[in-house]
Amino acid sequence: MARRSNNLLAGLLWTAPWWLGFLLLLALPLAFSLYISFCDYPMLQPPLWVGGANYAELVHDGVFHKTISNTAVFAAVSVPLTTVVAIGLALLLNLSVKGQAFFRACIFVPTIVPMVAAGAIWMWMLNPDFGPIANLMRAMGVDRPPLWLDSPDWAMGALVLVSLWFVGSPVVIYLAGLQEIPEELYEAARMDGASAPRRFWHVTLPSLSPVVLFNVIISVIGAWQVFALPYMMWRTRPGPDRATYFYSMYLFDNAFNYLKMGYASALAWIQLLIILVLTGLVFLVSRRMVHYRAA
Amino acid sequence: MTVRSWILTIVLLAPAALLLAFGPQGTRPRPGGRTVIRYWDKWTGVEGAAMQRIVDRFNATVGAEHNVWVDYNALGDVDKRMLIAAAGGDPPDIAGIFDRYVPTYADRGALLPLEEFVAQAGIPLADFKPIWLDICRYDGRLYALPSTPYTIALFYNRRLFREAGLDPDRPPQTTAELIDYAVRLTKFDPSKKDRITQLGFTLSPAMLGWWHWIWPYFFDGSLWDGQRATIDAPATHAAMQWIQDFRNRVGNEAALRFEASCGAIDSAQNPFLNGSLAMVFQGPWLANWARVYAPELDYGVAAFPSVTTERRHVFASEDVFVIPRGAKHIHEAMIFLSFALRQDTLEELCREHGKTSPFLKPGPDFFRLHQNPKIRIFDELASSPLAFGYPPMPTFSEAWTETLYMVETVLRASRPAAEAIRMTQTKVSQVVRQYDEMSSRRRAGKQQ
Repeated sequence: MARRSNNLLAGLLWTAPWWLGFLLLLALPLAFSLYISFCDYPMLQPPLWVGGANYAELVHDGVFHKTISNTAVFAAVSVPLTTVVAIGLALLLNLSVKGQAFFRACIFVPTIVPMVAAGAIWMWMLNPDFGPIANLMRAMGVDRPPLWLDSPDWAMGALVLVSLWFVGSPVVIYLAGLQEIPEELYEAARMDGASAPRRFWHVTLPSLSPVVLFNVIISVIGAWQVFALPYMMWRTRPGPDRATYFYSMYLFDNAFNYLKMGYASALAWIQLLIILVLTGLVFLVSRRMVHYRAA
Repeated sequence: MTVRSWILTIVLLAPAALLLAFGPQGTRPRPGGRTVIRYWDKWTGVEGAAMQRIVDRFNATVGAEHNVWVDYNALGDVDKRMLIAAAGGDPPDIAGIFDRYVPTYADRGALLPLEEFVAQAGIPLADFKPIWLDICRYDGRLYALPSTPYTIALFYNRRLFREAGLDPDRPPQTTAELIDYAVRLTKFDPSKKDRITQLGFTLSPAMLGWWHWIWPYFFDGSLWDGQRATIDAPATHAAMQWIQDFRNRVGNEAALRFEASCGAIDSAQNPFLNGSLAMVFQGPWLANWARVYAPELDYGVAAFPSVTTERRHVFASEDVFVIPRGAKHIHEAMIFLSFALRQDTLEELCREHGKTSPFLKPGPDFFRLHQNPKIRIFDELASSPLAFGYPPMPTFSEAWTETLYMVETVLRASRPAAEAIRMTQTKVSQVVRQYDEMSSRRRAGKQQ
């Protein structure tokens, strides 16, 4: 008995960094955040219980609606685009060609550039006067390149383009997934006379589907939390016509600029709910589309 | 636990304990026995070094006399850090924040009223220009003390004035004249008529720092009457119309393209410094950048024009010292503040920061030693009876964002100006109403 209790003590002690961290840095703040989402809490005064007023206010808040719509559009465009581009690049990088390691490094290196630095680089790249993209467009005969960052029509597109800069991470995961596909499957498909596109459609994609599912879920979560890039590129402004004002930016503004921590917490819980629902939907859809190999 | 486990635990914890005991201890040794004052401010670089020199002098003289040691910490986002520290019950003893936060924090009870402490410390408030103390007051009480003040003026390029046939000794006197001058000073690429190579004046928020909300004030208006937002008012409509008129005359698309290509204001790519922007609304620090990036620039400084010559409005702002509620060493903090607010000390700081003097009668060396040749003009502007500061709104942060949206909407002509103004008024009024409701509920709760 004494030995069991000693073992329990030792176990608790050695796992203390995790469960203490979980308790103090995650569970308690989560519980507190849920509580203050039902309060008016400007941080400088104690929380004042307001019931569901914060959630009710969201219904009438036009800026909240705008940020929801912006974030949904960004997620709807960037997630499929990132998925397609990442799979395409992974397929190319999986070919055994000379300099394969170099090409793989080229795709992955941008992901280790800090987000803020990447934002600064892209602000220069997209400059309508002296940016390389504008110069390229002029050379191709486009007399007036778009005001990428200053036009409500182009700002979202520019951000989606910039977000592709970080495609290296999913590419690496897809590449690992591609290398796990048994060669016998391709051989069997070839023997059946399947062309390359058919092999991709009937062998590669189904075999890769668990990896696609993982990456799509991660991308959906990332897209609904987009913050650093637009915050950097529009210099903390909401962007032209609030075209690049996203959910997390509005949440941050409410918490730290407007001192409405209760309202910001309500926003955070709604954000969590949206992400949970979308993740659930992805899982639901994936039931018929994802193929797990038998052990 | 077995003996082996105990030994392993001790071996693993020992380096951490040794690091805590003998690791980095901070670069400035503190003499034992002194009361340590934690002072947080936003200044780093040259500005931070200037403040650190004053702190060092205090620690070596008055601080030693009174057994007080000031520990100066330069922090980014000092207002947010102060807020979080105050919420956690461990605020600094002194904080240096921007004046626009004073109403917000004071109204929520985060700042200590200072009249009594100032009187006890013998700080001669009568020596300061009234505007700098007005900015420190909220709801009739003094919640802050001036540190480095400034006014905002019109900088204009004298060479470009001469080239355009304008008198470089007669800057524009009214807002209408400013537009006329700006149109005359705007030049287009001869081969591409829609490409501006030199712009007369800009209203781009990227070039104007934090003052996109300010234009109605130059049309005899305001954003706040003390109780409610007054954005949807004739002055705002006149100001937005003025912006649209100017943009229409130079071509909005061309102006947007020019502004989108401008570099950062504190760099050599600042269009005013590289001679491609003729006039700009800026503070005295522009002279510091001019000295570094464009030493040959021939520029003038004047009061920014208002709608009439009779009523010249002047925007005045300052960094301030505050004592957060919950500070543990108020008496000692005031000893340092009364040292820092001595005229010679504070003017030394203002000079090093390139700002104006907050005193009614600046000291004899202030202008002589100041590196900004135009500093007298900024100083005189602060004495204007029509000088105004940030609107004393407890919800100014939201008004700031909403007016930014309004001005950007007008600049991009993406909605009619009247609609943008109405939307902004509706949103800010809603914010104010909600804030007032919460404040009433809190007051009612306290009374019960």
